[in-house]
Amino acid sequence: MAENHKAAPMVDEVSDFEVLEIAVRELAIEKGLFSAEDHRRFAEFAHSIGPLPAARLVAKAWLDPDFKKLALEDGFTASKEVGIDWLNPTGFGTPSDYCDLRVLENTPAVHHVVVCTLCSCYPRPILGHSPEWYRTPNYRRRLVRWPRQVLAEFGLQIPAEVEVRVEDSNQKCRFMVIPMRPEGTEGWTEDQLTEIVTRDCMLGVALPHPERKLDDKRPVHKAANPVHGH
Amino acid sequence: MTSLGKKTSGSGFTDTDPDFSPISLLEKVRNRGRVWKDLAEKYGVDNPDPPWKINLDSTCEALASEQCTLPVLERRNEEDELSETLYQDVPYPERQLLALVHSMIQRGLIDEDELARRMKFVDKRLNST
Repeated sequence: MAENHKAAPMVDEVSDFEVLEIAVRELAIEKGLFSAEDHRRFAEFAHSIGPLPAARLVAKAWLDPDFKKLALEDGFTASKEVGIDWLNPTGFGTPSDYCDLRVLENTPAVHHVVVCTLCSCYPRPILGHSPEWYRTPNYRRRLVRWPRQVLAEFGLQIPAEVEVRVEDSNQKCRFMVIPMRPEGTEGWTEDQLTEIVTRDCMLGVALPHPERKLDDKRPVHKAANPVHGH
Repeated sequence: MTSLGKKTSGSGFTDTDPDFSPISLLEKVRNRGRVWKDLAEKYGVDNPDPPWKINLDSTCEALASEQCTLPVLERRNEEDELSETLYQDVPYPERQLLALVHSMIQRGLIDEDELARRMKFVDKRLNST
């Protein structure tokens, strides 16, 4: 009933940052740096993306050995099965992250984790927006040098006998991880499995769990010994 | 005011190293602006990002596309540097916004005074009743 409806809380003031964002955008459009239509299309694309297609790809791979083989051999074609066309991910053109997708499989002997040491390359069409910590220089610098320690900061302890492989994204290749299917999910449907494959699992900084469906806030640690230029 | 010695020919590429010195207008925004983290807490909102974040990302994307006015890698490198120096105490995504505008002003893509005037105009518009 309308009288019982309580509006969700909203921020009821305008910040200088909000004003700055609008002012810059308007000036850029007026100066012809891009068109309002281009901007609207990118915004529409940005609104539409998230980790769900990648989670479904993982669930399918867990259930169907043939699909898993396809995903590992040809991430591009496998992506189409979950509605992502890397040749035209926005539906109107190619954003800056147009590229090839490589799908990596975790096994009892090997654990993969993804980074972009250069900037923040990320498989956005299939995995959505990158988390804040993925962009931080300290994660990018340190993961390649001390992967086990950095993973431990995420609460993920990788046993010494398991090899840790760090995959460095670049302008041509993006990566996602198929984690190992957790115990306790026997007999689950594709939809059920999709729900527990979180973004962090597909980056390799977390493991799927039958009762975990959300990506928790992750800590951001400053580098103790920053390595400049890397 | 910043030194605008980094003007480009419209390609967005600079022929000198980027200038990471403070820009007066952006310092004002940084010091006076209320960041989303505080606003969200004050109003009990649980969105992790401010509503303008998607527009900011789209502006970055649009600047990098077609004419390649501001290439992704240059912008991200400058954002990294500014995030660890000038804007290190500003939370994300506010520092992403400040860094983007910093890079744009430096390249002469927008003018600081012109931006200040536009901000006044936008502020008045958004707060009109």
